[in-house]
Amino acid sequence: MFGKLDWSAIPFNQPIPLITSVILILGILGVLGLITVKKWWGYLWREWITSVDHKRIGVMYMLLGVVMLIRGFADAIMMRTQQAVAIHSAGYLEPEHYNQIFSAHGTIMILFGAMPLVIGLMNFVAPLQLGVRDVAFPTFNSVGFWLTASGALLVNISLFVGEFSRVGWLPYAPLSETTYSPGVGVDYYLWAVQISGVGTLITGINMVTTVLKMRCPGMTYLRMPVFCWTTLASSLLIVAVFPILTATLAMLTLDRYFGFHFFTNDAGGSPMMFMNLIWAWGHPEVYILVLPAFGVFSEIFSTFSGKPLFGYRSMVAATLFICVVSMMVWLHHFFTMGAGAAVNTFFGISSSVIAVGTGVKIYNWIFTMYGGRVRFETPMLWSMGFIFTFIIGGLTGVLLAVPPADFLTHNSMFLVAHFHNVIVGGVVFAVFAAVEYWFPKAFGFRLHAGWGKAAFWFAFIGFWVTFTPLYILGLQGMTRRLQHIDVEAWRPMLQLSVVGVAILIVGVICQVIQLVVSILQRDKLRDETGDPWDGRSLEWATPSPAPFFNFAVMPNVEGEEAYWGIKQRAIDTQQLAPEPDYRPVEMPLNSPVGIYTAFFSTVTGFALIWHIWWLAGLGLFAAFIGFVVFAWRDVHEFEVPVEELIRVERGRRAARDAFLERIRQGEGAPS
Amino acid sequence: MSELETDLHRHGGIGHEDHAPGDEPHESVGHWVRNYLLGLFFAVVLTICSFWAATSHMIWAPAVPVAIVVFAIAQMGVHLVFFLHITTGPDNTNNVLALAFGVLVVFLLVTGSVWIMYHLNHNMMPTDEMMQMQR
Ligand code: HEM
Ligand SMILES: [Cu+2]
Repeated sequence: MFGKLDWSAIPFNQPIPLITSVILILGILGVLGLITVKKWWGYLWREWITSVDHKRIGVMYMLLGVVMLIRGFADAIMMRTQQAVAIHSAGYLEPEHYNQIFSAHGTIMILFGAMPLVIGLMNFVAPLQLGVRDVAFPTFNSVGFWLTASGALLVNISLFVGEFSRVGWLPYAPLSETTYSPGVGVDYYLWAVQISGVGTLITGINMVTTVLKMRCPGMTYLRMPVFCWTTLASSLLIVAVFPILTATLAMLTLDRYFGFHFFTNDAGGSPMMFMNLIWAWGHPEVYILVLPAFGVFSEIFSTFSGKPLFGYRSMVAATLFICVVSMMVWLHHFFTMGAGAAVNTFFGISSSVIAVGTGVKIYNWIFTMYGGRVRFETPMLWSMGFIFTFIIGGLTGVLLAVPPADFLTHNSMFLVAHFHNVIVGGVVFAVFAAVEYWFPKAFGFRLHAGWGKAAFWFAFIGFWVTFTPLYILGLQGMTRRLQHIDVEAWRPMLQLSVVGVAILIVGVICQVIQLVVSILQRDKLRDETGDPWDGRSLEWATPSPAPFFNFAVMPNVEGEEAYWGIKQRAIDTQQLAPEPDYRPVEMPLNSPVGIYTAFFSTVTGFALIWHIWWLAGLGLFAAFIGFVVFAWRDVHEFEVPVEELIRVERGRRAARDAFLERIRQGEGAPS
Repeated sequence: MSELETDLHRHGGIGHEDHAPGDEPHESVGHWVRNYLLGLFFAVVLTICSFWAATSHMIWAPAVPVAIVVFAIAQMGVHLVFFLHITTGPDNTNNVLALAFGVLVVFLLVTGSVWIMYHLNHNMMPTDEMMQMQR
């Protein structure tokens, strides 16, 4: 009846997972109770859960990403402390448990932390910058988000019911085959990643279509902000490589569920083929994460230097170059697997060539600051910290891309330090910078500057104190993923790294305080004009928080830096553009189809993990019914009355008039 | 600026000329029937040709695979033109670019994988030699 599921799946005899999950469950029940008592369900259902507004979906993606980031950070704290105490001793984590922790950490951080954060940003920002009211497929977008959430839910259920994969964030065969991993851990991984992978693919298709087909009048390709270009490149990569991931994991699933032999040692299977295929997805995946981050920094450097971006066209070219070349380097993850000199040399060189594209970008950012009037606001601090950190990470990457050097550093702590260097310094810093930068556009008030700067400094210093020791350990010969350690000489560096983690924790606390303080002081931090940073692109041309229809009248773009042009004209002529003629606009209706599909996907995934076949069938059938009902709906748009548009637009114009008035009186632009 | 507004939602703003796969220009039904029948005819002929090339002795044996590859490529062309309606017209630029991108990705993945996997075997000790060492 319940397949493999019975009471032994609950970890009653393992205190750490048990206590964590009890606390988690109590916490979730507490939140749900609060929502019920306060009668917030109606509001949440109407305004968020069923919303097809790209901004709301973007914010929910970010929320999911932040929650998963915290979960992954908890794993990281456990790993660093375990290694610092488990020198000539067993430490406090059992080996099996330790393996689950590093596997969960990697999976969660990349696929359920960083990916939702980056996708959330693309969703929130790109349509606003393109000057349009929505993405190409709004309801599809909601489905994509909820499927991602469904995958994240499955990973977290594994904490309490059963176990998670122990084979690393990429389930290398043959270790992940049933011979060596008979439990449900790998199955949790497979179904969670498959379901969220579909969600990601949906986003990719959606964003490619949005950028290619939904731009406001005059927004030609070479007038798009760089963030839109990086969104396009990143989404193209998603469309190109996520199918590889899906197919590879599907083959592994066939091996595990039906005794196929794609990646087994025997019967003609090839574990090396798994390596090859998973990295053909895996390397482009890291560029899917980092390209939008490059976009964020491009926006921030030019805004806070008060200058157009230096070398806009070379920036676009470098983005597209990286997009294509990142699909030609995947072998650098397995130089040591046995390929010949010709193959290793080719992939070594192609990997280093990527650094050329990245170098072009770094020089462009530096030249953007050069001669500008740089304002050291919090987003700018994160961006400057990024330049420093990312250069080091990129250089160690180029070092790893030299095959003979990689034979020494492969799978060492040096490698671990490299990829944290680029992912934390590149992607995570970008996300924090972006949250500071676009928060007012989402919620109508800025985040507290002092606490933000404190958070940056703790994160920046904490990062380096945590990971510099790992570089050194790697060069001393320490390999990754050790459950306990027999070399006394590594003790000081391992302990120093824990100090770094402690500093990072302070940084996290600062972020939390920043949020609380900002909410409390929201009236003081209110963004009245919709343009808190003296911005240059179209998202700043609409009030903060942005109305659900984004723009009362569609902007008309006449050059690069669309909003800067409009703003300067207003300042020069001392008046706003004449009032346009308003027309009612059509917006898509909310739809519960996203959460409905995701609910049954979770049920199906859970059933497949535990071999509860009838439930899997039922879940699939129910999801299909949802699809049919959705396909047959009659009305899918509603009309926003002109009065509403006029009300919002007049409010904005009044704020902008006041701004012009202030300039006239010589007060200068508000900061 | 506002004439475009409603259209933007349905067809995408700039480049109205551009049309998506499946949303075809208006033509008479007869046109499409003729088009599909013609496509079917070519596809069938090419299929028969490949079978013929493989079974008859008209072609020099070592050249048979080449002939089949040629027929296969022609077959793809027929499908693209008659069934997927890819043309070289300006209204098709996006479709052609998407196709080119897809071909590029598949090409990179397939040739890369074949090359890599070929070399892996290349550098592994042949099985009989290994057997010998174990003896
Ligand atoms: C200049 C560009 C870069 C080069 C040349 C480079 C090179 C490399 C090489 C050669 C490896 C494999 C090392 C080994 O396994 O022995 C590696 C691993 C890795 N890199 Fe990079 N890298 C670069 C940038 C990035 C960026 C931008 C990211 C992410 C945003 C990234 C994320 C990773 C990850 C996650 C791994 C390790 C995966 C694993 O084994 O679990 N790298 N890099
Ligand atoms: Cu890589």
